[in-house]
Amino acid sequence: MSVTSGPPTTPTPPAPAPNPDTVTLTIDGQAVTVAKGTNVLEAARTLGIDISAFCYHPGLPIVAQCRQCLVSVEKNPKLQPSCQQVCGDGMVVHTTDKQSTLARQQMLEFTLVNHPIDCPICDKAGECTLQKLYFEHDNHDSRVDTPKVEKDKAVDLGPHIVLDQERCILCSRCIRTCDVVAGEHQLEFAHRGDHEVLTTAPGAQLDNAYSLNTVDVCPVGALTAKDFRFTMRAWELEATPSVCNGCATGCNIEIHHKQGRAWRLVPRHNPDVNDYWMCDEGRFTYHDLREKRLAAPLVDGLPAGWDRALRMAADRIKSALTDSSTVGVVLSAVCSNEDNFALAKLAQAWGVRQFLIAGKPPVPARADGRLRAADINPNTNGVKAIADALKITIKPSSDPGVLAGLRMLIVLGDVLPGYEFDPGRTNPLEIIAISAHERAHVGNARVALPACDWAELAGTITNAKGHVQRMHAAFSPPGHAIPGWEAAVRLGAVTNVKLTWTHAREVFKDMCAAVPAWSSLTWAREARPLALRFAGSRG
Amino acid sequence: MAAPRDVTSLKQLVLGRKDVQDLSDTETELPHELMTVNMGPSHPAMHGTVRIVLSVDGERVVKSDVQPGYLHRCFEKESEHATYTQVFPYTDRLNYVSPMINNVGWAMAVEKLMGLTARIPKRTEYIRVIVSEMSRITDHLTCIGASAMELGAFTAFLYFLKSREWFYELLEKVSGARLTHSYVRVGGVAKDLPDNFDADLTRTLNETEKVMVEVEGLLNNNKIFRDRMAGIGAMTKQEALATGCVGPIARACGVDYDVRKDYPYSIYPEVEFDVPVGTTGDCYDRYLVRIEELKQSIRILRQCLKQIPDGPTMVDDPRCSLPPKRDTYNTIESMIRHFKHIVDGIKVPAGEGYSFVEGGNGELGFFIVSDGTGRPYKAYCRSPSFVHLSTASQLIHNHLIADIVPIFGMINMIGGECDK
Repeated sequence: MSVTSGPPTTPTPPAPAPNPDTVTLTIDGQAVTVAKGTNVLEAARTLGIDISAFCYHPGLPIVAQCRQCLVSVEKNPKLQPSCQQVCGDGMVVHTTDKQSTLARQQMLEFTLVNHPIDCPICDKAGECTLQKLYFEHDNHDSRVDTPKVEKDKAVDLGPHIVLDQERCILCSRCIRTCDVVAGEHQLEFAHRGDHEVLTTAPGAQLDNAYSLNTVDVCPVGALTAKDFRFTMRAWELEATPSVCNGCATGCNIEIHHKQGRAWRLVPRHNPDVNDYWMCDEGRFTYHDLREKRLAAPLVDGLPAGWDRALRMAADRIKSALTDSSTVGVVLSAVCSNEDNFALAKLAQAWGVRQFLIAGKPPVPARADGRLRAADINPNTNGVKAIADALKITIKPSSDPGVLAGLRMLIVLGDVLPGYEFDPGRTNPLEIIAISAHERAHVGNARVALPACDWAELAGTITNAKGHVQRMHAAFSPPGHAIPGWEAAVRLGAVTNVKLTWTHAREVFKDMCAAVPAWSSLTWAREARPLALRFAGSRG
Repeated sequence: MAAPRDVTSLKQLVLGRKDVQDLSDTETELPHELMTVNMGPSHPAMHGTVRIVLSVDGERVVKSDVQPGYLHRCFEKESEHATYTQVFPYTDRLNYVSPMINNVGWAMAVEKLMGLTARIPKRTEYIRVIVSEMSRITDHLTCIGASAMELGAFTAFLYFLKSREWFYELLEKVSGARLTHSYVRVGGVAKDLPDNFDADLTRTLNETEKVMVEVEGLLNNNKIFRDRMAGIGAMTKQEALATGCVGPIARACGVDYDVRKDYPYSIYPEVEFDVPVGTTGDCYDRYLVRIEELKQSIRILRQCLKQIPDGPTMVDDPRCSLPPKRDTYNTIESMIRHFKHIVDGIKVPAGEGYSFVEGGNGELGFFIVSDGTGRPYKAYCRSPSFVHLSTASQLIHNHLIADIVPIFGMINMIGGECDK
């Protein structure tokens, strides 16, 4: 005997799937075929039916803890948590019948009983799953007239995170995130009933290298990042897809920014690279976008216009090229493929034969077999691929003696190991720099040309696995900065080398034609910033 | 060869190009070629800002190019980036002499998509009709007063604007703003009518009737006024229908079409009123139709004051009604709902719908496409002024330049509504 309160069973159940690896089921009257082992919640999402859920996260183990995703399955006496219910052949699921609708409403009402009235001061407001689900699935008035249970409002969990125990809805996503992503069980629930709280072990901290992922997955504002809390309202931000430049892994991220300033970086799903996660260190790289920026060209350390800077650079380069063996060009593992390719092509046209590669020194302690790599340069692989394709031999700039005998260096990027900053400007080595930041060798440069940093750039970088990944420009660069490849084009124009690129995609096209492994790559359309206000919830 | 003419008397007439003695006989006459004259965009008689490039033969218009768009504010595009509630201030700026009707029109279109039309409380409907009719009165008072002034009848202008100010003051009491009311909300109105509204409005209506007697006495059989209006800018019924004219302009041509009667909405079926229809379709008939509509609006208002019931001013639906402030500050449920209404906007089910009301100038329609989010996917405004302005070129054809003024005045092109 079947016990359901839903609408009558669909008269003709779908025919069994011929493929043994798939199952076909019916959800709200629509047939859907999914891979074997898929849960009902994911199957419903493929149909555009968004079953409400708090504790389910596609990247985490399933625990069916929040009971928010209950649906009625025919021939099943009780409601089933759709996140845990594996799809079966011929299964008939109802998500909008009276019973499961009521269950969702009641679960929300239950969740809200002790939820504090914090929306105006909560960092999650505007991208909060609890707000979203209440508004879409319940939207009823409160029936509670007893005081709410009071808990700790600001528990310092670790170096990056503060917990508000009152806001916590006990979904355990953060606990599982620490387990799965960092491999460290640092969070746990303590006490029972409405006194249950999230906590660390006594004396222990939430201090793993991936701890801020817990903030992302938190469906409410219980876990907040010290770096972001009370700085910016989520709904005023815009999101632009990009790639983290913190290390060679190249985690896919979104830059959340407003009016030309980044406020946080959050991971973007990419199963081939970073899944749903990124490390804490990578998240803080956006601070550097505002550090010591080069906003105008410098000639001998003083601001100058582009015209004068280029004239001076042309003059010095032409003079140095009379003996091209004394000129070196430094490609950069911290700059994009396009920037490196453009400068390399320019240098070849000049007849330069000395090529170096500059990058930050590796940090072996970082490598953990998860997302953090020892190489903290985003594009080491890209530079190598370009150099191979152009038949250039590149030596690391930090190798002893490689700078000896050189009269001039044309340097991309803001790092140059092997070169010591020279406050007295006594070093005869003349430097022409293309850099986003005024640091290291750039302070000694005869001419420094301001370039876009990674968040301002449309371009690609190549990660340790060889993925060529696209970054989109989130906002405009400061002052008179231009993309690095364009600086190379301008340098070419004043030194009688005609480079015809007018857009990064043209550089990209020529580059892909030159590098055999990249010949099938295409340039994606520019992504427009997405206003988070209308993007629904995150987490 | 004829003896040189005495041209000294002509000397001061011919300026610039040639010496007078070099002119031929015909050239000393006034030239017969057409002259191009710009009327507007900034001209006291160009209501709002509109430019007409006139080709005139003497004083007669032989060709005209009407160029609107100077007040384009991207109403429709801007609406795509605002929540449904945030669009109300934009609608205020469409026909800014009758903003309440625009408010009501937008609210009705959204309510249609949400399936709320039949659930709006009675008192709310009455309030909406009251403020709409008050707005219609301010609209017609402005139109007639300004047109009369442009024909030299400054007294009528002052009398009507005095009366209009009474209505504005009353609407300010209702909404808090004299002109840009933003008073209506999806599902209701922002707040109830103020204390003593009944007595205030009754007094205002009585006083306005007296003013109308005075102004009608000044204008109706005034020879100058009639000479400038009668037979000017006439349009036939067929032309009115063919060009899509609505409202007082179409009714002056004999088209018996009024949205309030033909597609009754709100509580219009519960009040008695007549729809005046003209015969000649000229400026004078348009004037008379508007005068009669003023009287009918007063009639409607008096009935509304008598019939208005007590009750809520907002539909009881959590999808669009804000919770009471007391609850917002004291329960998380109401706090979230309030937050979502303000930040994300009212969620309107996916679909599309067109809803229209009788505006000051005729059928004012809003077409909305919703994708189920808090803001319109597309919004379109069917603004009567835009349609009416498209007939302007044809109406002023072959008239004198001076006739453009009454024709334009009676088209009552409102820049904000026409240019959107």
